[in-house]
Amino acid sequence: MKNFFIILLPAIFALASCNPTPEIDNASMLDGNQIYDASLAHPFDYLVSEYKNNPTETEKNTPVIICAHGYSASTFEWDELRTVANSNQTFLVSQVLLGGHGTDYVDFKAATWKNWQQSIKNEYQKLQDKGFKKIFLAGSSTGAPLIVEMVSSGYFEQFSVKPKGIFLIDPIVVSSNKTLTLVGLLGPVLGYTTTELETGEQGKWYVYRPQESLKQLMELINLTRKNLEKGIVLPAGTAMKIYKSKVDATADPVSAVMLYKGLKTNDGKNVDIEMIDSDIHVFTRLNGRNSVSAKDIKNQQDVFADMGSRMKN
Amino acid sequence: MQQTQYLYNENGIGVDFSTSKLLNNKLHLKAEILSSRLGFGNGVNALKQENFILGAQYHFLSDKNLQILAGVNTGLFLVDYESAVFNVLPNSSLMFSVEAGVHYKIPNSPVSASLTVGYNLINGNGVNIPGSLFPVFYKLGVFYPIENLFCKK
Repeated sequence: MKNFFIILLPAIFALASCNPTPEIDNASMLDGNQIYDASLAHPFDYLVSEYKNNPTETEKNTPVIICAHGYSASTFEWDELRTVANSNQTFLVSQVLLGGHGTDYVDFKAATWKNWQQSIKNEYQKLQDKGFKKIFLAGSSTGAPLIVEMVSSGYFEQFSVKPKGIFLIDPIVVSSNKTLTLVGLLGPVLGYTTTELETGEQGKWYVYRPQESLKQLMELINLTRKNLEKGIVLPAGTAMKIYKSKVDATADPVSAVMLYKGLKTNDGKNVDIEMIDSDIHVFTRLNGRNSVSAKDIKNQQDVFADMGSRMKN
Repeated sequence: MQQTQYLYNENGIGVDFSTSKLLNNKLHLKAEILSSRLGFGNGVNALKQENFILGAQYHFLSDKNLQILAGVNTGLFLVDYESAVFNVLPNSSLMFSVEAGVHYKIPNSPVSASLTVGYNLINGNGVNIPGSLFPVFYKLGVFYPIENLFCKK
């Protein structure tokens, strides 16, 4: 028995004390110190609060949609909606870069989910201050629980202008990869996980996911699940629609069930939901993917058209 | 009583069978039904799900009050999404798990208890297994001999 502990204790210590750091290729990875999210250098191209600094009365009554991307992603995830908006001129798109994202591994590792969320809050506050009256929010993947938490925590109560609508695209409340539930145990040993990116995604997503930020993700989605179990009521006048791929190896489709059961409009009705015949996570982002089918394109176009229509009404 | 890591409390009832003919009371066969409907502390919107479990456990130190146990379970997992829009999602799965822990026979009492930790080797993957089937669970079992209920000594 004594020999057993002599072997076991140093092994436990070694496992608990190691927290490896990845080898980062600065020239090709967003994780490095050479590639940054484009919105940092050109905020006027991404944030309505920047490029409509002094909005006219007409612009104040134009729908503005704040789009929040997912965990480890960047503003790239919503570029295609901005293209649609530029084309049809019926709404404006404000692509926020989540805190800790789009810069480097060190920033990502240090950021909490509240830091991620702060960018959405900042843009909402600025748009409100500038007099925009029709503000919508859209969250893809982790962007969704960040927005849902803003509702459950009562963030919008301080504003006279409530969101007109919220769109959730492939929201995550439960991860498809259930080893995320072991991040507290395995995280310190692994240090980080690695994501395989497709060629067109290089430099747009972080490759490495530090265990510290994976813990933040787990904390956020677990909090969201608990809040949904208790029930979350949307602000008066705020509509919601959830779009969820029926097969999704990243954000488990059961997330949509939990959101549907847990969210109610202010007058007690169910929120709208549509299960999409897709196996793509964030099916509205097709740029950068190796293979895109005609059905994928139709799904994206249909949902963007539906969102546009709901923002008109 | 079962608490799944980062998910629900699911409670239920079961039977645990052992006899001197099964490795001299070292091998226990069991059947359990656990449901989130009977869980404590779950929110009103928790998914309604059931675990139907059959298992076999080996008890080390079976002649002692404090025993160590290890076993395997299989069974069926069912979840009710309560809305037709979710009919496209998987709502059942075969279960297979490993479980280990301790079993304590309270001295001078017919009651015993076990505390175990388990791992569902089949768990939700976003594709063809229900997403609310999570891997890690902790279980507290309280046992009372059936013969004490029905047989006069």
